[in-house]
Amino acid sequence: MITVRIRLFAQFREIFGGEVSLPLAPGSTVAGAVDGLVSRAPGGKKALLEDDGSIREFVVLMRNGKRIETNEAGTVPLADGDELAIFPPVAGG
Amino acid sequence: MLTDRERTRYARQIMLFGDAAQERLKDAEVFIAGAGGLGCPVAVYLAVAGIGTITLVDRDEIELSNLNRQILHWDRDIGRTKIRSAGEKLTEINPDIRVMAIEAEIGEKNADQLVGGADVIVDAMDNYPTRFLLNEVAQRKGIPLVHAAIRGLHGQATTILPGKTPCLACIFPCAPPEDVFPALGATAALMASIQATEVIKYLTGTGQLLDGRLLLWDGGSCRMEEVAVAPNPKCPVCSGSRAADPETKKKRRKRQ
Repeated sequence: MITVRIRLFAQFREIFGGEVSLPLAPGSTVAGAVDGLVSRAPGGKKALLEDDGSIREFVVLMRNGKRIETNEAGTVPLADGDELAIFPPVAGG
Repeated sequence: MLTDRERTRYARQIMLFGDAAQERLKDAEVFIAGAGGLGCPVAVYLAVAGIGTITLVDRDEIELSNLNRQILHWDRDIGRTKIRSAGEKLTEINPDIRVMAIEAEIGEKNADQLVGGADVIVDAMDNYPTRFLLNEVAQRKGIPLVHAAIRGLHGQATTILPGKTPCLACIFPCAPPEDVFPALGATAALMASIQATEVIKYLTGTGQLLDGRLLLWDGGSCRMEEVAVAPNPKCPVCSGSRAADPETKKKRRKRQ
């Protein structure tokens, strides 16, 4: 197993907490980590995923400080100790 | 040249920046988009700091539910336009500056003209479609854009320097779905204060700007964190194809 550290911000933090340590099977991708995360909290799936299970386009994903496009998250593998930051664009003013 | 009155009014910050920097503030024009939760405190702090010309644009009228955060608008102003209310108050707060309060909806057709030759654009909007428009104007004209946004106890801010930092569309390629967001005056004030500080730092050449970094505030745990942000080489707004690909542009607008 590998473990990734997921940091969440803004309204995602209210759903999942500020930080989640997520154990995953070796070879898991960023999309796999998001799938693993959403089942951990009520409302998690609706916050991050579309009805068809794809990651909502406005969600910002950063692996070790580098941005990952939502539609490429299924092809980006994670390594033990990676950090994944997930946040929404905050919109109010 | 600063007048004696100005030298006295700004004495405490002239201690910080010096005479020449205060004159730069006096010569500057700052465009503030929005006279709401962020726009009110940004405008107040830029006005009292002696920004020579403040252009403030908003389209709305004041509602009772605005008053928990939009501090330039008072109970007696309900039903008036935000622009009239803000314009009057700012001129009273500092009669030594010029306040151009414009009642308008910022749109694709008028954004360039409204921003004019401003030295800095302050994003105090409450929606991404208008933010993206301001971002495009900022990129086109090479004007810094100081962004902030709030939701409940959370806030975010970054300073965008065209040609140097990622643009707003690099960081947030897609707008979130529109919703009615929770808002607290104290959160707006904090983020607005960061914006005003950035504007003053930029104009006076002081310190290190919030460029290439997204500041994330969580009032619930009283933590300020930051995430490094990088330009998106495929960004339709700033990656060189400045006249953004119409298809991508259309797609982005549709999602909003």
